Amino acid sequence: MLLVSPPDSVKTAQNDSTKTLQTVSVSARSVQAKTNTQNSVEVDATYLEEHFAGSLMQSLEAIPGIKAVAIGAGLSKPTIRGLGYNRMVVSEDGIKHEGQQWGDDHGLEVDQFAVDAVEVVKGPATLLYGSDAIGGVLALAGNRLPAAPLEASATLFGRSNNMQGGLSAHVAGRRGGFFYKANLTLSDYGDYRVPADSIQYYSYWIRLHDGHLRNTAGTERDARLMLGWTNNENLRTDLTVSDVYARSGFFADAHGMEVRLSGIDYDCSRRDVDLPSQWVNHLKVQSHSTLLLGVASLEANLAWQHNLREEMSEPLSHGFMPTPPDSLERRFDKHTFSGTLGLRLPLGERHELRLGTAAEHQHNRRNGWGFIIPDFESTTFGLYATDQWTASEALTLNGGLRYDAAHTAMHAYSDWYLTPTTGSDSAFLQRASEARRDFGSLTWSLGANWHSGNWILRLNVGKAFRVPVAKELGANGVNYHIFRYEQGNADLDPERSYQLDAGMEWNGGNVTVKVDPYFNYFPNYIYLNPTADYVEGLQLYRYTQTSALRFGLEAEAAWRIDTHWEAALRGQFCHSQQTSGDKRGYTLPFAVPPSTDLDVTWHYDLHGCGNLGLNIHAVAPQDEIVPPEKPTPGFLTLNLSASHRFDLHGGTLAVALQLNNLLDARYYDHTSYYRLIDIPEPGRNLSLRIKYEFKKQQKEPEL
Amino acid sequence: MAAAMLLGHASCSDDERDMERPTITTEGITAQPAECDAYRIGDVIQVCYRLTDNEELGNFNLEIHSNHDHHTHSTSAVECDPDPVSHPDNPWVFNHDYAIPSGMRDYTIHEDIPVPDGIAPGDYHFMIRVTDRAGWQELRSMAIKIQ
Repeated sequence: MLLVSPPDSVKTAQNDSTKTLQTVSVSARSVQAKTNTQNSVEVDATYLEEHFAGSLMQSLEAIPGIKAVAIGAGLSKPTIRGLGYNRMVVSEDGIKHEGQQWGDDHGLEVDQFAVDAVEVVKGPATLLYGSDAIGGVLALAGNRLPAAPLEASATLFGRSNNMQGGLSAHVAGRRGGFFYKANLTLSDYGDYRVPADSIQYYSYWIRLHDGHLRNTAGTERDARLMLGWTNNENLRTDLTVSDVYARSGFFADAHGMEVRLSGIDYDCSRRDVDLPSQWVNHLKVQSHSTLLLGVASLEANLAWQHNLREEMSEPLSHGFMPTPPDSLERRFDKHTFSGTLGLRLPLGERHELRLGTAAEHQHNRRNGWGFIIPDFESTTFGLYATDQWTASEALTLNGGLRYDAAHTAMHAYSDWYLTPTTGSDSAFLQRASEARRDFGSLTWSLGANWHSGNWILRLNVGKAFRVPVAKELGANGVNYHIFRYEQGNADLDPERSYQLDAGMEWNGGNVTVKVDPYFNYFPNYIYLNPTADYVEGLQLYRYTQTSALRFGLEAEAAWRIDTHWEAALRGQFCHSQQTSGDKRGYTLPFAVPPSTDLDVTWHYDLHGCGNLGLNIHAVAPQDEIVPPEKPTPGFLTLNLSASHRFDLHGGTLAVALQLNNLLDARYYDHTSYYRLIDIPEPGRNLSLRIKYEFKKQQKEPEL
Repeated sequence: MAAAMLLGHASCSDDERDMERPTITTEGITAQPAECDAYRIGDVIQVCYRLTDNEELGNFNLEIHSNHDHHTHSTSAVECDPDPVSHPDNPWVFNHDYAIPSGMRDYTIHEDIPVPDGIAPGDYHFMIRVTDRAGWQELRSMAIKIQ
């Protein structure tokens, strides 16, 4: 199979015979564990169906080290070993997914119902994925080649906590060389509920109506169409057009210049979206082709992504800014053009060479009366080569080199209103000045995999990097979500990370034990440092670079007791510490607290087959903090799940139920920015998903 | 890995991290403005509050903004008999950052803020924000009235 970012996920996506996991609750399994030197886990669509938990990321949280930082009840941001935002890459069918990764309140702009398989790479993967893949990669595959002449499914889903209802439809088929796949998903939800009647921010009391976080309702509409052709021998090409649209409110009491109550009657309806709010649209057109030439294979991807986002809020004067004429606080308009080309070339019996190149161009324009990031253009170009050497039956070695060059040009920005300066003069203050930066980075990786008997051992060492984003280089304005003034630094260097990863796996048939430790050093971690200074009445936070150490591990033990019962214990911890600068000795922001999960699952066969599962999720207190954080107490939640599949009229009906936070525990997620404004996590929630799937089995005669 | 753990612990032991926020207090002083204080146009608000920190204070900010719309976020539970809701054209906006001399752990604010002519009388919020050298922040808000 074919190369280029993420060869493995593409490979698996096309291999439709992916076996349904026996270990449903224990879930995810290692990919190519016996040759892969990196820590990588893959889940398929069946897993995602049975673990439907509101958002794709929440469904993936069962993988140790993976965390979904919830933004309300239905959106969440992924983190891998505590690194998220621009420190990980989400890729879709080999193309890096663009959104506003840097922002706090953006979920993934992806239709989770159109995802066929997910591969999670824990640890640095910049060698194949380029800048940002410091923490890891979430590779989504949605371009699986349909096997049947016609397959179709319809899914109904709902969540009780935020009164969400939605439906998703899917139709795909393959006739001769032609294939197609179409997805449509609609969803609508109300304000979500927390188990609290009020929340406290600094010493402000915000009373909640019936526990509802006012104005967190929203709606989502996604569509996707893939058309393709294959000669059924060595060539495949397809074109995919997808659009994800989402509109949602911001929690009304924590947006704007201060904690305030507006004249808007938020409590009159739970489902309406008032100001402040945002809408996001992500349009993507992607072409994907693979060609086999003898033993060699080629893969090419071309894509255009258009991200549009508007944040609206009540126009209010602040400082010397008069009341703005409209509610358009910020608008982001970003175009991304990307291309990748990869070659996989086996050399003899023992070597497999991969060569690849990737290029990307971004064009970003802003609008609205609030300024946070300047207009910019950026261009990146990367080249890489790797070799996998099968040294013996038991030992595989891996090594690679990559060079990336990036150019970022930022535009100047001045206020649209006058600020008094000296005497009676006043001026349009310049917030951002024109800046051009060039970055270059050489990264490398070396790995080994050894397996014998019940054992698999892995070791990987490498360097990863990330180019500073426009917000880090050029921010200069008020962050309205969190009441602070944020200032970028145009002189930041590319962030570098050196990482040592190990993996130990013992597979004794019914018992499997895995331990994955890692150690990580950043000479110049970029973070937003709260200073002692004020700008325009708000505390100044400035992007700064510091050296930092991180280490941690994930561990997992699974036991198949008999054909019906299964149990698994999973856990992770991650320690981080700044080793230079202003905050020397402190942890890095949003340090992930240690956590453990115990799962017990019962499989049964009765009118079809099904599972019942109990999950106990325990999280330790987090006292490792850095200003402005607060220590977060530990918590325990109980979660139940049930799923059943049965045959119905030639198709399959799958029903999945999840009951989260059964005891309606009030707890905080230390890694969520909502923690900073003291908003607890959602209360008890029941999710239901009903899917009917139909496949026309007999194959059409080949053309 | 063991080396990493040792390293982590070694640097934890010489812990010099400041984990305490500064405070805004009325202890030992006659604080002004107090909750629900009323001033007239032409008066001077003689601001007096005490700021303390366990290590070193940073800077502070004083802000006065209109509460004619009753957005009500006073940090104290006191209700100050507000005037009816209004939307005046000329609300008073005061927003000033002040430096605290370096090395101070205890600092008493003495700032005179004259209530300017021509501003709308009514309900206002008076806010004090203070940082310490480590970047922790504390704030305090009072409802005041201009007559």
